[in-house]
Amino acid sequence: MVSLRPVEPLDTHYLEELGFVWHTDSDESPYLADVLVEVTEKEAEAYYEAGNTLYEMFVEAGEYVIEHNLLHEIGIPFNLVDLVRESWENEVHWHLYGRFDLAGGIDGKPIKLLEFNADTPTALFETAIIQWAILKRNGMEEAAQFNLVYEKLLENFKRLVTLEESVELFHERYEGWRFLFTSVRGNVEEENTVRLLQHIADEAGYTTEFAYIDEIEFDGEEGIFYQEENYELWFKLIPWEDIALEEPDLARLLTRIVLNRKAIIFNPAYTLMFQSKGFLKILWDLYPGHPLLLESSFEPLEGKMQVKKPFFGREGESVAILEGDGTVLVDLPGEYDAFPPLYQEYVELPRDSEGRKYQAGLFFAYESCGLGYRRGGEIMNNLSKFVGHVVV
Amino acid sequence: MKYIKRLSQISTGVGVGALLAVGLSGCQQKPADQAAAVQPQQKNAFVVIEEVTPGKYKIAEEFPAKETRIILKKLDGTEKVLTKAEMDELIKKEAAKIEQGTSPLTSPEGAQMTSGGMSIGQAILASAAGAILGSWIGSKLFNNPNYRNARRAGYKSPSAYNRSVNSFKKGARGSSSRARSTRRSGFFGGGSRSMGMGRSRFGG
Repeated sequence: MVSLRPVEPLDTHYLEELGFVWHTDSDESPYLADVLVEVTEKEAEAYYEAGNTLYEMFVEAGEYVIEHNLLHEIGIPFNLVDLVRESWENEVHWHLYGRFDLAGGIDGKPIKLLEFNADTPTALFETAIIQWAILKRNGMEEAAQFNLVYEKLLENFKRLVTLEESVELFHERYEGWRFLFTSVRGNVEEENTVRLLQHIADEAGYTTEFAYIDEIEFDGEEGIFYQEENYELWFKLIPWEDIALEEPDLARLLTRIVLNRKAIIFNPAYTLMFQSKGFLKILWDLYPGHPLLLESSFEPLEGKMQVKKPFFGREGESVAILEGDGTVLVDLPGEYDAFPPLYQEYVELPRDSEGRKYQAGLFFAYESCGLGYRRGGEIMNNLSKFVGHVVV
Repeated sequence: MKYIKRLSQISTGVGVGALLAVGLSGCQQKPADQAAAVQPQQKNAFVVIEEVTPGKYKIAEEFPAKETRIILKKLDGTEKVLTKAEMDELIKKEAAKIEQGTSPLTSPEGAQMTSGGMSIGQAILASAAGAILGSWIGSKLFNNPNYRNARRAGYKSPSAYNRSVNSFKKGARGSSSRARSTRRSGFFGGGSRSMGMGRSRFGG
């Protein structure tokens, strides 16, 4: 059973002051749970190691996909293939951050990789800021968390310039390149996630600006412009596959811009490989039976309870849980049915006394750097709650 | 373990500590909820102002452009490009009237008074060029609802106004002014699929 500690929730006024305005879900229930998951130091350590190990495996498997021309197999849209390759092969395209979704890690259950949100991870604000605020609100000054998300992101921002582990030479090497931060207009969670990242980049020492995607001008030969100012660095919290499928002209322009070395884009296009559920099958091929992995296949698994998920699905949509004989147990409808499916061995998530399930979100910015949980039913969706943690 | 930290170890003045104290919007110059307020367009404009009756002018066309230019089309068919000095002088005069509250641009009756045409100075200020050249007038104009009504009335036809607004919104480069430009913008102009205060549809 998951061990929980009750806490006083944060009042909405304070949350909004913090910039966290998506505190209430579409069914009017609070998005933030009024409990913390209790995690032992040993469990936290195991999460830390698991994230680092998994990332090394992702890099190995990424090299394999590129070398063996498997981008089509894992569902990378054809109009991003050149950009994915270029970003992989040129070291300036540094991965800023991602979030592993993991089963287990607490309650005696082994850690298993469910997927890697490598391209556009949210829950950043909750993990980096809000769960510290919960400790503060509850006077838990001496309580601890596995949560260096803010500090590690700040360091990794500096690495975009130093391109090595050490960030000491950032100020020496940074030549004032302007950094533009972008979301799609109309969603405040995405916008404030981006503004938080911008804030951290500011603190790291960059010259930054924010603009909605529709305000930005793209020129294949000259680069990225906002209000006539050229930006050499661009962060976009917009999924690469959306760019490929909904705005193919933009995909073409960004490819030109990157090939012409006019801008560097974060997260890099190769993170779309990591993000594809199809990549999980490649991982299983390369590391069959690895303790951190679940069996994964492009075909239904024989005689095993399994989860069927589209290569590029979001918020649990178009996900189904199947019996070994193919019978559908749970099924969330969605708009992602058109993507090819991955079949992944089912694993039970840790539960609390009320039977609610907990899935760990482990942030990664050059190394594992922070932990948070989502709580929901069989399939996590956009009504799942965020649950903070405390190390005991 | 070095990756586990106590709340008491977080310093108050910087990083997470600063955010916990004042919040993200407190750290920013422009809070998110004000971002949508009416603001002067920062781009340059190419504007055609046409004389409709003797001494009365309307905005016939305007496009985003690399530099701000105003073309004056007189009733007799002649065209004239206004110099920077001429533009500045006209704006200065009109700005003085705004200051004194006597300009039709910012008075409640402005929309009626300007519906038959404006002086050249008013037309410039009502155009996108005014937004750029007269940016020092700033909030006096842009947050004045009368100005917005008068501005709309100052166009030769409703379609000229709409075309102008749309071309600036999209930042699309007008074909007449930047025919050779390859810049594109307006991507994802329909906004987010999960609008408003709700949660993001991706990332999880």
